[in-house]
Amino acid sequence: MTETLFIGLSLSSILLLIALGLSITYGAMGVINMAHGELVMIGAYTGVLSGIYLNLNLLFALPLAFMVSALLGLALERLVIRRLYGRIIDTLLATWGVAIVLQQLIRLEFGLSFFGIHVDGLGPGLQSMDVPSFLTQPFEIAGVPIQTYRSFIILVTLLLTLLTWFLMYRTSMGVQVRAIMRNPQIAAACGIDVRRVSAFTFAYGSGLAGVAGVLLAGFKTVMPEMGASTVVDGFLVVVVGGVGSLLGTVLASAMLGQINGVFAILTNDILARAIVFGVVIAIILWRPRGLFSFRSR
Amino acid sequence: MTGNTLFKLGDWGIYALFIVTVLGLPLVMDDVFWLNRISKYLVYGMLGIAIALSWGYAGILNLGQGLFFGLGAYMVAMSLKLQSYTSTQQGSDMPVPDFMLWNAEPGAPTELCCIVQGSWLWLPFQSQWFGMAMAIVLPVLIALVLSSAIFRLRVSGVYVAIITLALVLLVRLLIIDAQPITNGFNGLTDLGWLTVAGIEFDPYMVSTYYVVAVSTCVVLLLTRWLVSTRAGLILQSTRDDPNRSRYLGYDVAAYQVFFFTVSAGIAGFAGMLYVIAAEFASPSFLDITFSISMVVWAAVGGRSSLIGAAIGAILINTIEATASETEMFQEAWKLIIGVIFVLVVLYMPRGLAGLAQDLLGRISSARGSGDKQAARSGAPAE
Repeated sequence: MTETLFIGLSLSSILLLIALGLSITYGAMGVINMAHGELVMIGAYTGVLSGIYLNLNLLFALPLAFMVSALLGLALERLVIRRLYGRIIDTLLATWGVAIVLQQLIRLEFGLSFFGIHVDGLGPGLQSMDVPSFLTQPFEIAGVPIQTYRSFIILVTLLLTLLTWFLMYRTSMGVQVRAIMRNPQIAAACGIDVRRVSAFTFAYGSGLAGVAGVLLAGFKTVMPEMGASTVVDGFLVVVVGGVGSLLGTVLASAMLGQINGVFAILTNDILARAIVFGVVIAIILWRPRGLFSFRSR
Repeated sequence: MTGNTLFKLGDWGIYALFIVTVLGLPLVMDDVFWLNRISKYLVYGMLGIAIALSWGYAGILNLGQGLFFGLGAYMVAMSLKLQSYTSTQQGSDMPVPDFMLWNAEPGAPTELCCIVQGSWLWLPFQSQWFGMAMAIVLPVLIALVLSSAIFRLRVSGVYVAIITLALVLLVRLLIIDAQPITNGFNGLTDLGWLTVAGIEFDPYMVSTYYVVAVSTCVVLLLTRWLVSTRAGLILQSTRDDPNRSRYLGYDVAAYQVFFFTVSAGIAGFAGMLYVIAAEFASPSFLDITFSISMVVWAAVGGRSSLIGAAIGAILINTIEATASETEMFQEAWKLIIGVIFVLVVLYMPRGLAGLAQDLLGRISSARGSGDKQAARSGAPAE
């Protein structure tokens, strides 16, 4: 039973990492970023490439992937999303196009494949990332075997959640972000540079996606399509938790991850996911604003 | 001629041009392979109409339209599967789908009722008409229940999109999980042909193209009529301001439920036609990618124009098919499509239909000033 809960917990933490970024971008800016999954994928590829070319191990790939995805997010905000604030459905459609473009860029090795150049670690095929040996050896606590890599994921998620909480609730930047969440016009009237803060927020959320990508790469195959399914899961977590609520996102990912984990043991993986979707529909019908949310906006 | 009548003429002109082109195509194109392809794209055009109806006219973004399309497809595919040669030749009185035999436990009777658990669900599908009726009835029923729950509880906006999205993924997983009776990931392939009054509708035959083409035109005209009725106008008012419509005494939810359900029915019908033309049904119809693609087609064509959305769907799919077979674009076409989506959303939010309207508007204003000039120059001569 503890092992089931533990697997559920590690599923929850990956879910949380993906949802955390989405929660920030959706909550603060009203942007449905369908390319978030592709930022996860780019993070995973950053991990793979830094292993091949820079000989960096996973620990160093984490900050690198954060940087790469954050910069990409910044560019995305500047080029596309900035023009679409207030048109929520259009952000969904435009970023869907961006997602296709990003997937194809990796598949076509940034266009180099047209010239017959092959870059190791890119292209349509499957890639994998090596996990350093100290993260693969299982250890025991009081006779219960614990998988090191899974606990590492949980640890990283915990740290990043705390960091996000600190940034949002203990810094002046965080105050500005929360002000924008509640009411962007009034925030602007109070002298907050909404554009600049939004751009930073988006970059930070994207960076979190990059980190999630590296962690995913540690136990999943890396391929151009890997991100597409994660964005839906992440988004459901955000909505169930309540838009803009950090606590809600944490609890919703814990709940959905555990439901998935427990039912995967009781029935099978497919039915477990179906049950998760059913629970999500019921919750949205019951409380459209999510389990934890403030009113207004 | 005033600008308004020109708009109306332009509108009807485009509808007439569309219908004439679609129905006249077999006269100029004798490549049955391409005709079959285009009939599939016409089905996609019908999906575009369904999306424009719910999104453009009702303001309800359904990100799970694939659910209704997929269910419609599966219902007909089940019937046609039982008509196929492999199903009728299993040495039983009743036809038995081949994949059930592979899934059956040793010693299970080769009977449709009990060869695998739940296979009795297939029994009524021995009648082709039952399958065809269910292809519309089932989507309509599900849409009715779903939309009643959604709109009576006043769920709106993005949340509707998320519920429909979650539901299509849920049903997709159920279909995959029910592998013994649905053939799981592989879907239903090797289907028989639709047979009506002794005529077999071979997908690569002009008559099958006409079945699809006429259906598309009829659906287009019916929907166009529907949105111009009183109910259609009230629907548009609920889109623009649900609260005001409510204060005026209209039952907003009832209109939303009705049009959501009509849209689902069209999608189910489209699913049925798709199976007749494409000869397979697969869980990929319920993939999230497919449902979002439909919305993108409608966005490119013009989300608030029925015919615009239909043309958008047909155009994108034809371009995709041609580009993916041209050697130069073979690898890059998806990239190009992605860039086009982004550009359309950024710079052409009203899509192709908006472009056409602007063009007509420019012509009519030029005409208008021309008329004035003519009047002015004509005046002294009098």
